Amino acid sequence: MSDTAVKKPYVRPSAVAGEKKSRALIAGIPARAFILAIVVIWTIPTLGLLVSSFRTQLAIAETGWWHGLINFTDFAQWTIANYERVLFADDMANAFFNSLLITIPSTVIPITMAAFAAHSIAWMVFPGRKILFVIIVGLLIVPLQMALIPVLRVYTRHGINGTYLGMWLAHTGFGLPLATYMLYGYISSIPKSILESAHADGATPWMMFTRLVLPLSIPAIASFSIFQFLWVWNDLLVALVFFGTRRPIVTTRLAELVGSRGQSWHVLTAGAFITMVVPLIIFFSLQRYFVRGMMAGSVKG
Amino acid sequence: MQKLLRIGLTLLVLSMITALLAVSCAREEETVAATNPTDNPWTGGDNLAGTEVILFGAYVDEDAARFRTAMEPFIEQTGIDVIYEGSGDFEALITVRAEGGDPPDIAVFPQPGLMTDLYQQGHVIDLRDWMSESDLRESYEASWIDMSRHEDGAIMGAWYRTSVKSLVWYPPAVFEEEGYEIPTTWDELLALSDQMVADGYTPWSISMESGGATGWVGTDWIEDIMLRIHPPEVYDAWVAGDLRFDSPEVREAFEYLEEIWMNDDYVLGGAGSILTVPFGDGANPLVMDPPRALLHRQASFITAFLPDGTEVGPDGDINFFYLPQIKPELGDPVLVAGDIMSAMRDRPEVRAVMRYLATGESTRGWLEQGGFVAPHADVPLDWYPAEDRPYAEIVQDADVVRFDASDLMPGAVGTGSFWTGMVDFVSGDSLDDVLPAIDASWPR
Repeated sequence: MSDTAVKKPYVRPSAVAGEKKSRALIAGIPARAFILAIVVIWTIPTLGLLVSSFRTQLAIAETGWWHGLINFTDFAQWTIANYERVLFADDMANAFFNSLLITIPSTVIPITMAAFAAHSIAWMVFPGRKILFVIIVGLLIVPLQMALIPVLRVYTRHGINGTYLGMWLAHTGFGLPLATYMLYGYISSIPKSILESAHADGATPWMMFTRLVLPLSIPAIASFSIFQFLWVWNDLLVALVFFGTRRPIVTTRLAELVGSRGQSWHVLTAGAFITMVVPLIIFFSLQRYFVRGMMAGSVKG
Repeated sequence: MQKLLRIGLTLLVLSMITALLAVSCAREEETVAATNPTDNPWTGGDNLAGTEVILFGAYVDEDAARFRTAMEPFIEQTGIDVIYEGSGDFEALITVRAEGGDPPDIAVFPQPGLMTDLYQQGHVIDLRDWMSESDLRESYEASWIDMSRHEDGAIMGAWYRTSVKSLVWYPPAVFEEEGYEIPTTWDELLALSDQMVADGYTPWSISMESGGATGWVGTDWIEDIMLRIHPPEVYDAWVAGDLRFDSPEVREAFEYLEEIWMNDDYVLGGAGSILTVPFGDGANPLVMDPPRALLHRQASFITAFLPDGTEVGPDGDINFFYLPQIKPELGDPVLVAGDIMSAMRDRPEVRAVMRYLATGESTRGWLEQGGFVAPHADVPLDWYPAEDRPYAEIVQDADVVRFDASDLMPGAVGTGSFWTGMVDFVSGDSLDDVLPAIDASWPR
C-alpha cells in the first residue's frame, strides 16, 4: 500500500536528494499514527482528571468534564478550591515528609540488596544458585496480601509494628523478588568477555562488581528505582496495615480527606496531581540514565 | 564511576539520617495533664494518668476531629490519653489486625454483623465482664441493648452514634411555591408524587450506585417498607432468618417498592438510572436550579454529600420529612443504623474508656458540633443544636425502632445476596428468581 502511495509520476529534481528520507518518513506514517492514537487514548483519562480537578463539586456532579472544555467560558464552574483543600489540609506537609522518610529507604535498600544478589547469582559459582534463583522468581507470583497477617504477627511479637523500620522491611521484602529478577536479567547479559578481561587484569570480585557491573547496570537500576519509588509512594494497603494512621503519610491522609462516607471524592482529583509531583521529579531526574546506551564501545581490542 | 559510588553512599547515609530522625520523632510524646486523675466516675478511683487507649474506626477527617473533641473531657479528667486512628478501609483492616495479633484497644464498628463475626472468633470482649446490665440500662433503652446482644447472651459493645434512615428530603422553596403539603401517610405520598408529575416535575431522585456495595439503598427501602406493613415481630423473624425472603410478607414489600421505583414518570432518568447514579449524588438534583427532582429518601448522613454552602432546614435549600406510615395501626416506625464500640483488649484504662463511651456525656462534644444523633437515652434534647433536634425527635417519638436489617443478617446475605438481589430486581429480574436466590444463599 505504501509503495503505490510513495511512487509519484513526477519528481522535481530538487526533491531527488531527499527522496529516500521522505520515503522512509511516509512509510512510517501508519505506525506513527497508531502510536499517536494510543498516546491520545491513554492520556484522555488524565486530561479528564485534570479538567475535573479545576471544577467545582457541583459541576463535577452535574456534567462530564468535557462539558467543561466545551463551555470553557462558563467561569462559574472553575475553581482552585480542590487544590487548596488538599494543599492546606492539616498535616499535609508532615504527610509528605513521612512519605519521603518511608519511600527513600524503601527504594535504596531493596535495590542495593538486589544488585548484590543478582550479581552473585549471575556470575559467582556456588552450589544451589539455580534453585535459589527459581525460588526468588517463584516469589514473584505470591500476592503480598497473603503475607499481611503472618508478617503482622511477627511484627507485633517484635514490637516493630507502626515503625518506619517495619515499613522499610516490608517494602524491601515485597520489592526484592522483582528487583533481583530484573537486575539478574540485565547483569547476566553483560558480555562475559568484559568480566574475563577484567579478571585477567587482576580485578578482585569486589572490584568487578563495583567498577564494572554496577556502572553497566545503571539503566536497569534506574528503571527499577522508578518502579519501586512509585509503588511505595502510591502504596496505601501496606501503609494501613503496618504503619497505621497515627502518623500521616500522603496516601492515608488523602484517603481520609475523602471523608467517612466518600462524600468528598472530588478532592481526589486535585490530590492525584499534587502527589504526582514527587514521582515526576524522580522520573525526569533518572530518565537520562536509562536512555543512555551504556554498553556502546565497552569491548575494545 | 567513583561518582556513582559516592551517589550510592550519599543515598545510604541519607537513609540512615532519615532513620535516626524517624526514631527521634517517634520518641516525642505528648503529656496529658490531669489535675486530679482519680476524681471521675470512670476509673473506679484508680490513677491511670499517662496510660494510652487506642481506638480504631471508620471515622476520618472531619468526623475524626469531632470524635476527638468528644473525648477531650475524659482525657482532661482522667489523664488517660485516648488516641483515635481512622481509616476508610476499616472493615478490611480490623480483620487483618485482629488476626495479626495487633487489634486496637477499642474498635468502632459501623455495622454489628462484622462485630459479631469477630466476637465469635474470640476477638471481642463481653461487656458484662466489666459492667452490669443495670449500669447499661441507665444510658440505653432496652431495645438498643438487645441489638448489641449476641445469641449466647454476651453484650458485644456499647452503641455510640446512630443515623436515622426513614427520611425523605425535599426542597422547601418549591413546596411553598406549589402549595404542596408534607404527606403523613403513604397514600398521600403517592398522591403528592402524582400531583408533581401533573405539574410537570419529576418527583423522585433515586440513586443506588455504591461500588462493591451497590444495592444497600434498595435494602434500606425494603426494610423501611417492611416496618410499615408488618408488626415488628415479623421484621425480627425476617432478620433472624425465620421468615424467608420468598414469602408473601416480603413480596408485599417489594410490590410497594415497585409502585414508586418502576414508574418511569416518578423517577428522574427513569428506573434505568437508579443503578448508575452514585448514591451520594442522589440529593443533588433537589438543590439544583431549577430542581430536577423533588423527593429523595436517604438517611441523615446525606447532608455530608450536599454541595458546599447548601443550607439544611425549613427555610434552607433542602429539608426532610419522616417517611410516612403505611398502616396506621403500626404507628410510626423508624429505621436506624449506628456505630458500636467494642473492646478488644482488657486493661484498666480500656475499661474506663468503655464506661465513658457507654454514657451520653461522651457524645456531647460531638453532637454539639452537629451531624450527630446519640443512641443514649440519657442525652437531653437541648444538647442538640437546633438543626439536629428534628432527627433526635424522630427517634424519640418513634413507636418502633429497628436496626438496618441488612447490617444484622449474616454477611453472605446482608452485604451479599440481598444487595445483589436488589440490583437484579432493579435490572428487571422477576421476584420469582430474585427472592429464592437470596434464600438459597442464607447460611443455615
